[in-house]
Amino acid sequence: MKPDMRGETVLEVRDLHTHFFLRRGVVKAVDGVSFSLRRGEVLGLVGESGCGKSLTALSLMRLLPKGGAQTIKGEVLLNGENILKRTPAEMREIRGRRISMVLQDPQTSLNPVFSIGDQLREAIERRKRAPNVEVMKEAVAALRRVDIAAPEQRIGQYPHQLSGGMKQRVVGAIAISGEPGVLIADEPTTALDVTIQLQYLKLLKRLQAETGMAILFITHDFGVVGRMCDRVAVMYAGRIVECGPVRQIFEAPQHPYTRALIASVPKMTGPVGRLTTIEGQPPSLMDLPVGCRFASRCPLVEQRCLDAYPAEVRVGDAHTADCWKVTPA
Amino acid sequence: MSAALQDQGQDQDQPLLRVEGVRKHFAFTKGILFAKTLGHVKAVDDVSFDIRAGETLGLVGESGCGKTTTSRMILNLEEPTEGRILLEGEPIHALKGEALKAYRAKVQAVFQDPWSSLNPRMKVGRTIAESLIVNASGDRAWRDQARIDERVRELLLQVGLRPEQAQQYPHEFSGGQRQRVALAAALASRPKLIVLDEPVSALDVSIRAQMMNLLKDIQAQDDVAYLLVAHDLATVRHMADHTVVMYLGKIVEKAPTASLFEDVRHPYTKALFSAVLVAWPGRGEEEVELKGEVPSPLDPPSGCRFHTRCPYVMPQCSQREPALREVSPGHFVACYLFE
Repeated sequence: MKPDMRGETVLEVRDLHTHFFLRRGVVKAVDGVSFSLRRGEVLGLVGESGCGKSLTALSLMRLLPKGGAQTIKGEVLLNGENILKRTPAEMREIRGRRISMVLQDPQTSLNPVFSIGDQLREAIERRKRAPNVEVMKEAVAALRRVDIAAPEQRIGQYPHQLSGGMKQRVVGAIAISGEPGVLIADEPTTALDVTIQLQYLKLLKRLQAETGMAILFITHDFGVVGRMCDRVAVMYAGRIVECGPVRQIFEAPQHPYTRALIASVPKMTGPVGRLTTIEGQPPSLMDLPVGCRFASRCPLVEQRCLDAYPAEVRVGDAHTADCWKVTPA
Repeated sequence: MSAALQDQGQDQDQPLLRVEGVRKHFAFTKGILFAKTLGHVKAVDDVSFDIRAGETLGLVGESGCGKTTTSRMILNLEEPTEGRILLEGEPIHALKGEALKAYRAKVQAVFQDPWSSLNPRMKVGRTIAESLIVNASGDRAWRDQARIDERVRELLLQVGLRPEQAQQYPHEFSGGQRQRVALAAALASRPKLIVLDEPVSALDVSIRAQMMNLLKDIQAQDDVAYLLVAHDLATVRHMADHTVVMYLGKIVEKAPTASLFEDVRHPYTKALFSAVLVAWPGRGEEEVELKGEVPSPLDPPSGCRFHTRCPYVMPQCSQREPALREVSPGHFVACYLFE
């Protein structure tokens, strides 16, 4: 990445709270998330199921699931403008052109009854009016850009005629056809085979180098983080507990949760023995403790951890952790 | 090979399970009433390996490589087109009636998805008890409710759950706990072999480690063998004693796990290893990246099935199929690079 492509912040999330208001109570699924993303950067958002990483992404897109989910607090600044204040009609203009998203399962992202070409055309025509021939030419170019062989033939095919890896490329082509400044990728390779996963990640990297878009990469796989990301944010029970450059997080994780999480991943080298585990369960999002949310499972827990949520501590260069026990840099 | 056949009667040398030249071809047809056979999908094509008592065999490969079909044949859910599978020296596909029931008690399975493998309307204690009763085949002792309750209690404790959780329904459990329940049900009949089909891939990282430790503990206690079907090489490395790598229905490499991870030979296995995203990249190892996708098993490439994607392809690769050859003790590779 050329240094001049990095730079200005394109997305800044400040103190985002998205809760589910249910009859049984309030589920605080995203509860005070803040991070920023610069042009040409890949930020990994990692965490286990239910930590709120996907709901964070949906909050940014303003595509919350029906049934009581609501963003009640916070700001999402896209190029400095708070998109939480935009009307639904304005959001439709923003989605796809300025911020876009790729989901985990390409099978459900594509419409099975329309051809690949039709689905690409829809995305292109939303952006501009042009004669059909020209739109189709652009659709073919978009497929070629995501390394689909023989795009002229593929364009008339339906999703079921494509393999999983190819479908995910088509989804990618649609997502970036509006040249968005920010792409959110929510576990885009989880459903793919390992060799196909590697191809897809390399493709994303190449597209990013070409366009300079910023990517928020949501995953639970530290291998993917190591391959893709510049920085990583670790989420636990609705909050980011540690955030920093990938190398620093891997080599010297500061938050006890990050440390335990990294230790519990089976490795490809080193001794084969018992794996480290994290005992217990994350707290219920309906009944969060006042103190640190990891306290009940933390080996270093003290009284102050139970009494109050720790402030964000700067533990290194652009590296922060929410923990009472870390030493400030 | 001949030595192994000679030793049929000798217990130490006889593997628990032997898969011998097994093929499974599925016909694909057109039409319903006067269906025409258009061809065959060679899902599994001449596969042989052994599993020893108390050991874990890892079966690795991508979608469509035949690993699931192989495990279904071992579970006696699918009959091989050719070849045979023997449990303790006895061909399993000839079994009928009581003998087949006894086989099912000896060979159990735990599947990938803990959300769909348990009956949502049944208390988990009952699910485990059913497995116990069904597999007891007429043993009168298991008609005694108190004895059943005691064994269910024992099994729940063995998999790290609390005995009183027998009264709960599956929806009250987390994914990891459900997978423990499925394991308890599989252990109920004291099997000799458990087929584990991607047992941890649906679980979160920290829960995955707990499950893997539990599986190892149970193996140490009960001397049960595992067939671990998985796509994650790091999981296989931590669990398996031997590893078999498959590509489009064929074994391309099989070896003791330690030997395989130290010295990967087959170009496909190399590519699989390169594709594993280690969190600490840049160790300067040669990286084999594959172009394209796995060809259709309907029309597999001639010769070595991997030749269309292999970076080291030679003229003979497309003509004849390479045989599995021993390149170091116990380490077999099917590739012309090693002839």
